[in-house]
Amino acid sequence: MTERFAAPTSLEEALAILGRDRAARPVAGGTDLVVASRQGRRPLPESIVAIDRIAELAHHAVADGSLVLGGLTTHAWLAETPEVRSGWTALADASAIVGSPATRGTGTIGGNLMNASPAAETTAPLVVFGANVMLRAIGRGSRIVPVASLATGPGRTSAAPDELLTTVVVPAPDPMSGSAYIRLEYRRAMEIAVVGAAALVTLAGDGTIAAARIALTAVAPTIVRAPEAEIALVGAAADAAAFRAAGAAAAGAASPIDDVRASADYRRAMLAVVVARTVAAAVARARGESIPIPASRWAHGQEV
Amino acid sequence: MTEGNAQHPDRDGSPPDQEPATGSGDGSRPWIRADGQAKATGQARYTADLTFPGLAHARLLLAGRAHARITRLDPTRARTLPGVLAILTQADVPDLRYGSFDYVLDRTLFARDVVRFEGEVVAAVAALTPEQAAAAVAAIEVEYEDLPPILDVEGALRPESPLVHPDIDGYAHDPNLDPSGNVAGRSTIVKGDAAAALAGAAVVVRERYVADMAHPVPIEPHSVTADWSGDRVTIYSSTQVPFTARGKTAEVLQIPEHRIRVVVTHLGGGFGGKCDFHFEGHVAALARAARRPVRLVLSRHEEFIAPDKVTHAMVVDLETGVAEDGTILARRSRILLDCGAYASDTPVLGQIAAMMIAGPYRIPDVDIEAISVYTNRTPAGSVRAPTGPQACWAVEQHHDVLATRVGLDPVEFRRRNLVHDGDEGPTRQRHEGDGAIDTLNAAADRIRADGPLGPGEAIGVASGWWFSAPGASGAFVRIESDGSGRIVTGAQENGTGAVMALPILAAEELGMRPEDFAITYQDTDTGPYDGGSSGSQTTFNNGRAVVEAAREVRRQLLELASVQLEASVADLELRDGHAGVVGSPDRRVSIADLASTAHDGALLLARGSGLPPENPEHDASACVGRLGFESFASPTFFCHAVRVHVDPATGIVRTRKVVAATDVGRVLNAPGATGQMTGGVVMALGNATMEGTVFGADGRQRNASLLDYKLLTTADAPEIEVVFVEHPASNGGPRGSKGVGEPPIVPTAAAVANAIASVTGTRVRRLPMTPERVWRAVTTGDDGATEANAPFGPSEAALAAAGIGRR
Amino acid sequence: MPELLQLTVDGLPLSAMVDPGRTLLRVLRDDFGRTGTKEGCDDSECGACMVLVDGLPVNSCSYLALQAAGRAITTVEGLARDETLHPLQRAFLEGGGIQCGFCTPGMLISAAALLARDPDPSEEAIRDGLAGNLCRCTGYQPIVQAVQRAAAEMRAAT
Repeated sequence: MTERFAAPTSLEEALAILGRDRAARPVAGGTDLVVASRQGRRPLPESIVAIDRIAELAHHAVADGSLVLGGLTTHAWLAETPEVRSGWTALADASAIVGSPATRGTGTIGGNLMNASPAAETTAPLVVFGANVMLRAIGRGSRIVPVASLATGPGRTSAAPDELLTTVVVPAPDPMSGSAYIRLEYRRAMEIAVVGAAALVTLAGDGTIAAARIALTAVAPTIVRAPEAEIALVGAAADAAAFRAAGAAAAGAASPIDDVRASADYRRAMLAVVVARTVAAAVARARGESIPIPASRWAHGQEV
Repeated sequence: MTEGNAQHPDRDGSPPDQEPATGSGDGSRPWIRADGQAKATGQARYTADLTFPGLAHARLLLAGRAHARITRLDPTRARTLPGVLAILTQADVPDLRYGSFDYVLDRTLFARDVVRFEGEVVAAVAALTPEQAAAAVAAIEVEYEDLPPILDVEGALRPESPLVHPDIDGYAHDPNLDPSGNVAGRSTIVKGDAAAALAGAAVVVRERYVADMAHPVPIEPHSVTADWSGDRVTIYSSTQVPFTARGKTAEVLQIPEHRIRVVVTHLGGGFGGKCDFHFEGHVAALARAARRPVRLVLSRHEEFIAPDKVTHAMVVDLETGVAEDGTILARRSRILLDCGAYASDTPVLGQIAAMMIAGPYRIPDVDIEAISVYTNRTPAGSVRAPTGPQACWAVEQHHDVLATRVGLDPVEFRRRNLVHDGDEGPTRQRHEGDGAIDTLNAAADRIRADGPLGPGEAIGVASGWWFSAPGASGAFVRIESDGSGRIVTGAQENGTGAVMALPILAAEELGMRPEDFAITYQDTDTGPYDGGSSGSQTTFNNGRAVVEAAREVRRQLLELASVQLEASVADLELRDGHAGVVGSPDRRVSIADLASTAHDGALLLARGSGLPPENPEHDASACVGRLGFESFASPTFFCHAVRVHVDPATGIVRTRKVVAATDVGRVLNAPGATGQMTGGVVMALGNATMEGTVFGADGRQRNASLLDYKLLTTADAPEIEVVFVEHPASNGGPRGSKGVGEPPIVPTAAAVANAIASVTGTRVRRLPMTPERVWRAVTTGDDGATEANAPFGPSEAALAAAGIGRR
Repeated sequence: MPELLQLTVDGLPLSAMVDPGRTLLRVLRDDFGRTGTKEGCDDSECGACMVLVDGLPVNSCSYLALQAAGRAITTVEGLARDETLHPLQRAFLEGGGIQCGFCTPGMLISAAALLARDPDPSEEAIRDGLAGNLCRCTGYQPIVQAVQRAAAEMRAAT
């Protein structure tokens, strides 16, 4: 049962509470924390620090080519902002399919990352973009952690209990690149990824694939890179055969689980399909072709 | 307490809903439902919204395991916790066995000695706050000895199977049934000699189809509040069947019915999930023990596991013989219905399933058997068109397979075999009208007019029928002193608008406008008996009662008018709120004036009830387990045609368009009937591809949340074109109308299934046709019918250990 | 420890002592008697509990009440002005968008939020905008049409 509640308006104050109250946990939109408690999965923390009024966490800007996001940046903002949609398209793809309009309006990128769900939508795009987060604690200043190594397991991160995610920095991708995030959707909204994939693909001048980064959702305890698929792509012609090969390589290396949403067999097979389609979308965008956001809708029924 | 207003007995002094009904039945003016404004503004109070001085909060201790012996149950310590007012177990209520219907008296209010499904009620707590009630439930000391759960309907029929009810031979039951072993009931529909006819058929197709259990999922969870006054109790309940709730509460608590009042303020949907008797008895007993009003509201998780009303898991074996030209010659079938831990109304639903497997087709020889099998799953029952969607899904796929075998287009195959006016049904009832054919033609034409198919798209069709349900039902109609009207009815409004549309019927009889009437309803103290919002019966039965009462008021009005206008009754008419002499516009008197006169003498007041129509003549002499559905009264005929896209690589199916053509006899309220069609179709599409309960090997539900039990969202729902065909039934509801609420959910999944087969070239014989099952059928040819009844995947504990689950 | 919560609900300043773990939905319903907002599930899946917090749609069942301190809450009960129904309410009423009515409060709030940010939404935008609100009765079609009608009416009025 929650005994203490604070709603600081400055970062300093929030960090101070997190520093002195070891039971304190931050809440931003509440879309994960409160739901978890109402379902009986995880009781509400003994002490809650509501960080949603901290103006220092609510910024977002493009600076020196990088996307610099305060932890309170909402999914709705990421889905709708033109710079994100054109420059970090996979992140817009992912943000546009989180939950419902209400979830997207209140749910934040900081919350999504720190909740460390293996099915989180925004993590895989941030991983392929090589994003870093800044964690800050009272008395220790900030440290930078790659998104790829932030989560250590379902619901677990490498952050200390007194650390707060303040900023996400997403570097600019190569000019000749395109990105996409696609999840397998049983229904067209209010979904949770059965499997998902983000791809960032850079084309060489001759149209072959110069570089590729792929990250996978909901096939492991955390969001993981798919090096086998990346290797399969680099140097290859950017065609359907290569996309399928990447899908097969990702599926071959994955060891997904059985659960109530899908069997391991189906997850593995769908991983091949989703990776192939995601790479296809990323390549098309690298070529300047228009693939609608979110790409998950476009992906349904694609021949790849 | 309901006196003087349209809907509900608010306890907190808020103004009652009084918005009168407006509009017309034919859709020429918008139809504004009388309860609509209250619902649009948030003023409408549902059961969980009601508050009372001193209200206490109930919580149930549910078994949480599928099959176990209770070795110890001790609430002593829990009773000492702060705020606890009462804790009840079976030891605290009359120790009698009842049936939630009277087919098999197989259950007790609280578990006695053994729990037989996950959601079985072991104890109930009333406390000052919901948190205290939850703490007390957690503190009840209960120990179990787990017993092996019986989960496989075929295994349960084997002689060596353990029994869900070892004492079944001692249970009282309906005389037409012979429950024994794990069989709660067995019914057959038999005509002619199917075995002989099959032997002579040119083509015989044998198939198996398997359907999983699904949930009704009203958006309002169950809620009950009980409030005693002396030896009388008022029970506010989210029930679809107030009179059933009253009767069963009386039975289990041994109280006369007249001391129990069941009131439904507004009901947040039911779809059959709130038919039957659920928690009224528990809460009434708790409130009596706690000496104050007690409210129970189920959480969504509890809503999935505790109310024992889900659709039937079914195993359907089919064998049909056809001539070379595609004429159906004979059908044999065995249907196993998983009735879960308690029989409820499954035995009669088995008989309905058998009729659905026969369908509205000309089949000379029929031999269909339906067996209701006990398991340790959630008890199933009359969820919207019970057994209909599963049976139709099986048999209409079977018909497409037969069509393919004889080289016929699926529409042509149906045209050759569907019943026409005068044709004979499975027990030789005579069909009326060409509704079956007309709906097929309409649906097929409209879907083809929808433009050329894209890649990965196909059309599927499915036809079917559903009965109307004649039953006793009563209503009063009266004219108030100012000339406004009032209908007082026992009928229950579950959202469909069936009760809200009753003024249309009364208004037409009395030359008034629907908005001139108020309705007093869903209160067992006030309205006469009605069977509740089940079986699509409200308009069919209560509509007849209202018309009958209105006609008597009409007679009274005309008599009064004949004196005032000095004219013969035969020359009078009621129009535009007046009684007048036909052809003499000046000689008329307003109904308000007549009402004023009447309030100095004989009141304008009448009752309507009347005998329900008889079922059509038929011959069921060869059938056993006869429970009243040997023939279908005034059947509604329908055909749905769908345009579907399948992504074969993922198995994901998107339905892009549905044409729902239905012969409802007569459309009485076009907007209301259309709303039933669009709503039914979308519910059916959920059932088709997503909605199925996944059980663990331990017999517990694994997807008992709206995250993992997925309904279609707005973004998934296709365009729906609604077509009504009108062939009035000679022995139907008002003006030849037939049941409307249930039919639209029956054929959609079947049509989708046929479209899937058409796109992929392979058939999915497991419902729901989830992406994974479609994918598996496409990639391996495995149709899913032999998929183990036990679920795939590891237990929840293994999942938790692996650490992967929810977002 | 309960804390003092002060906020505005449908234009009325209100306050209550609230436990930190208490959700906005419970405070609205139990402390303030605003029962127009409904509870249909435990996991933000059904949308019956939708309210506007400073104009943005929020599942009040998973939003801590104390987070709403100082904010303006709009529930379904605050949509109508005096005796005049909101165009969305009237369109739902006239267009068959209401059956059992249990999803209606949340559906109306999501629709109001949608039209506030997009006064002329496409059918697809409406369907996406209401995707967080489950309706089991209508099949959604009458609701989508009602939102289209209300949007046209509201555009014409401005």
